[in-house]
Amino acid sequence: MNRVGRAAVMLTLGFTMARLLWTGAFGWFIQQRMQIPLLIATVVLLIMGVYEAVQATEEETKDPESRTRSTAPKVGWLMILPLLVIVSVQPVGLGAAAADRVENFTPVETESRFDELDFSQGVPELRVLDFVDRAIWDDDGSLNGQTVRLEGLVVNDPDVPDGFLLTRFLVSCCAADGVPIQVAIQGVSENLVNDTWVVADVVLIEPDVPYRENDADRWFVNAELQSLTIDLTPPTDAYESPYE
Amino acid sequence: MSVVSIQIPHDEILADAGHQTCGLEHDHDHDHQHDHGDGKKKRAYGPLVLVAPFLIAVLIRNQYDALGSADFRLWSTLFVSVSIQALPFLVLGVVVSGLIAVFVSPELVEKFVPKSNKLAVPSAGLAGLALPGCECGSVPIAGRLVDAGTPPAAALTFLLAAPAINPVVMVSTAVAFQGQGTMVLARFIASLACAMLVGTWWARRNDESLIKSMTAGEEHAHDGGRLRSFVDVASKDLFHAGGYLVVGSLAAATLQLVVPRSVINAVSGSEWQSVLIFAALAVLLSICSEADAFVAAGLPQFSMSSRLVFLVVGPVIDLKLVAMHAGVFGRRFALVFAPIVLGVAVLCAVVVGQVLL
Repeated sequence: MNRVGRAAVMLTLGFTMARLLWTGAFGWFIQQRMQIPLLIATVVLLIMGVYEAVQATEEETKDPESRTRSTAPKVGWLMILPLLVIVSVQPVGLGAAAADRVENFTPVETESRFDELDFSQGVPELRVLDFVDRAIWDDDGSLNGQTVRLEGLVVNDPDVPDGFLLTRFLVSCCAADGVPIQVAIQGVSENLVNDTWVVADVVLIEPDVPYRENDADRWFVNAELQSLTIDLTPPTDAYESPYE
Repeated sequence: MSVVSIQIPHDEILADAGHQTCGLEHDHDHDHQHDHGDGKKKRAYGPLVLVAPFLIAVLIRNQYDALGSADFRLWSTLFVSVSIQALPFLVLGVVVSGLIAVFVSPELVEKFVPKSNKLAVPSAGLAGLALPGCECGSVPIAGRLVDAGTPPAAALTFLLAAPAINPVVMVSTAVAFQGQGTMVLARFIASLACAMLVGTWWARRNDESLIKSMTAGEEHAHDGGRLRSFVDVASKDLFHAGGYLVVGSLAAATLQLVVPRSVINAVSGSEWQSVLIFAALAVLLSICSEADAFVAAGLPQFSMSSRLVFLVVGPVIDLKLVAMHAGVFGRRFALVFAPIVLGVAVLCAVVVGQVLL
């Protein structure tokens, strides 16, 4: 891989990353807080690419043989493979297919106490993680009998026959480490397709045995549906993370 | 997508083939002479080498059904994620390795790195505290350190310690395991111990022939000043390590799909089984060391010490690292190094886990 090839791939890579950052599509692949590091890396790549391209041009005019002097191993060409996949498959974020494969996330107990929920401004919106956390660990029962709003995608599951699993992924670094957080929504009349984004107003169904003492193989925090809207502007577009 | 446009003047991109074969000097001359004959032709086709795959990719994406299966799209999401996530760390790593190549001379190493391995290995381990990154960045850095004359035992200790004990990883472990501070301490001690044990083993073994030099067969270009050689080294290391990183991401994405969750569920009972399974998962999943704590924290049905195994093994050895080690230090090295590191890491984690957790 000579200087010209390296310059070309660095520039292609740099422009693709710049585009992912610009459109916000990078959020499907990595956590939002990785945006700045990725931006810096992109700028470094572009500068190095331009520099190498200029060097290659100068070398060529001075000494046509010079291109063989600075070569990187051919394996470097593989770096265009992720770009080809981005262009051809146009992968989207994690969805039902991923939720099927990974064990549900269960929050562990933390020392901190839960804040009071504010119901004065209408139905409060909660992160799915927060909902599950409170359902399992809040001894004061801040969710009991209260309607709250959750946003997530639909995953149909045979264990939830008249409903679906409202799912959000917890991603700490990149989509490959994503684990689903799910709430079983009961009492749904519509048949929703997998991966539809929805906003659901729900009330926690208090279990007979506290969730934390449940030792079944597979269990969910349950909630009764109050109202449901299909989310026409899901957080998969610019600058809003689809992940928690 | 607009990536199809390449910003290089067309005649700059040449088909590599004819030029890569710089075997015998007179052959090369001959090649070159010949080149003037059909050079025009080659130049015209050159850009296609890079542009064609993108054109094909754009054409394929309209045949949606072929690529639209849920599993394939998930695979591609995972593959692209692992690759992009590593990019900032890889770039940081090659910038540091470029700086090392330019500013760290063998004389400087001789002056500052302790002569005796007894001192060099522990100090290299603690130096790992200073590199805020993950394992992808430390491989090219360690390669350059060896080239600058650092004793391999010390460079390898740094290679293993840096991705596991740096401040970023320690903080993310503390965040993931809130209220379980001993996990952070246990991870630090076990990872550092593992790095130093492997370093000491390497110092004893003292088989330099196993490590292939990064610059073997590479001419040192001193003519163009420091900036030029900095970019030269950084860019070469980027593609060297980056290419193998892509190989590793391919393997990791594939295995994430292939390892079914039933395997994980089946073994949560027995302690020994779960230690082995977590070691295997750490190797197969190849999760970045800055993220693995969150994954481990998400599996509370397993014991703390088996999850510690995951956190200690992951940063020092996994599929993408084996590919990167093979690329930077040579295939023979990777084959010897991987099992030793895996064994030592599991041992350290189990011992520390028994004592602390």
